[in-house]
Amino acid sequence: MNTCNSDTKIVVKDITKQFPGENPEQGLALYDVNFTVQTNEFVTIVGRSGCGKSTMLNIAAGLLSPTKGEVLINGRAVNGPGSDRGMVFQYSGLFPWLTAIENIEFGPRNVGMPKAERRASAQELIELVRLKGFENKYPRELSGGMQQRVAIARAMALDPEILLMDEPFGSLDQLTREDMQRELLRVWEIRKKTVLFVTHSIIEAIYLSDRILVFNPNPGFVKKEFVIELPRPRQKSYPDFMRYYEEIYEAIC
Amino acid sequence: MKRSVRHSKNGKIFGLSEYIIKIITIIILIILWEFFSRVGYLSPLRFPRPSKLAITLWELMTVGYPIGITVWLHIKATVCRILQGYLLAAAFAIPMGLIIGRSYLLEQAANPVITFARSVATISLLPLAIAWFGVDELSRILLIAYGCYWVILTNTIQGVKQVDINFINAGRMLGASRRQLFFRVILPATLPRIFAGMKIALGVGFMVIIAVEMIGTIQGLGALIQQARFYYSSDIAIDGMIFIGILGLLISIVLDRLEQIMLPWAVGLEEVER
Repeated sequence: MNTCNSDTKIVVKDITKQFPGENPEQGLALYDVNFTVQTNEFVTIVGRSGCGKSTMLNIAAGLLSPTKGEVLINGRAVNGPGSDRGMVFQYSGLFPWLTAIENIEFGPRNVGMPKAERRASAQELIELVRLKGFENKYPRELSGGMQQRVAIARAMALDPEILLMDEPFGSLDQLTREDMQRELLRVWEIRKKTVLFVTHSIIEAIYLSDRILVFNPNPGFVKKEFVIELPRPRQKSYPDFMRYYEEIYEAIC
Repeated sequence: MKRSVRHSKNGKIFGLSEYIIKIITIIILIILWEFFSRVGYLSPLRFPRPSKLAITLWELMTVGYPIGITVWLHIKATVCRILQGYLLAAAFAIPMGLIIGRSYLLEQAANPVITFARSVATISLLPLAIAWFGVDELSRILLIAYGCYWVILTNTIQGVKQVDINFINAGRMLGASRRQLFFRVILPATLPRIFAGMKIALGVGFMVIIAVEMIGTIQGLGALIQQARFYYSSDIAIDGMIFIGILGLLISIVLDRLEQIMLPWAVGLEEVER
């Protein structure tokens, strides 16, 4: 469905977000944020905690509305959540009362896809994220890594063009986290998606992304941009990798 | 299931299962009680000895007290009243709680009323209930309903308010309409808390029922105990207490089992507010 062209998928235009509060300076989460994401590009926002990167993602998702500015997807302004975007959350986004496969079927069920059809496509996604045999387990019966696999499959169930990922691996242990990074890239290679990813791990960002946006904290805006020109699959021990790390680290501080 | 560190590894202490140890403890206490009352430390009138209680127990089950009303009839009357009041309360409290919990305005408005009504001990409403509805089944059932209502209501409201924002966001991202969001996300997310409220409410119902049965009826465990009081029959009063305890225990086992069947994903998750 997504042909390989270099169209612009997401345009973030002059986004400012002011949260209501007593002190206007503290409530200013984002100030004049501008960037674009190309079709099938993997873009990551990095920055210190509280730099508004999650707020930016929620605005792109349509869960929050900006105080000023707009987000365009395929040229149309975002006005609430839509099935062109799937989202993966850091914590507990999975519904504990549904099994793995029921979680994946949740979106298709809402839009009225017939049972047989949605079961089949959910089964396909289960296989894509390598969870065969676990489809009837409840989230609490799955490990943290498995839960995030289900979350990724669920976000892809309505076949969105865009995946929004809010520190999806932030609560995992280091080894699982690295497995999941490889898994995500594998899935991304198979089902091409435009990805907007948020993390505070510079290494994770370099490993995954085509492009990295460094956010300034308080208020948040794009401070610096890095195009990662490393061949995939990337090795975290490459000297070039480390060079990027140092440059980005410096940009954040 | 997690076990505390003080539990033995295989559930055994000195080679005996924990289950056996619990039973032995009870038996030892009963033997001590019998012993002290036979020796004369405990007055048989105030502390009837266990052997006497056992005989009375048998009489309650076969002959009944007053004669003809066996303890089974008392239990049946009590259980029927509790169930009616309890279900009546749940039928109103759960929908109300879901509505109030979803609205900040309603919650703020209802808050003082709920806190006030909850603080009024249900039994203190007995005179009013009698004035309004007479010494009648209706009074009893409504009082039980009143006691249960506020507990279920507050727990339902809290449950709705505490639904994880991530669940709601995930639901919205997955194309849920307002209606779908309510029935497929908010309601199931609230169920464990509603269940917790229902469990506490049942305990409240038990407290209320015994008191309201002490007036104007000869059927029910409360009535049994009240009758015993008139004639200084401590043995009957204590046996009545034993039946109440066993009944409460059985019902809570049934509720736990029901929760395991209905909410297998949630067992052990709930936090409770009285």
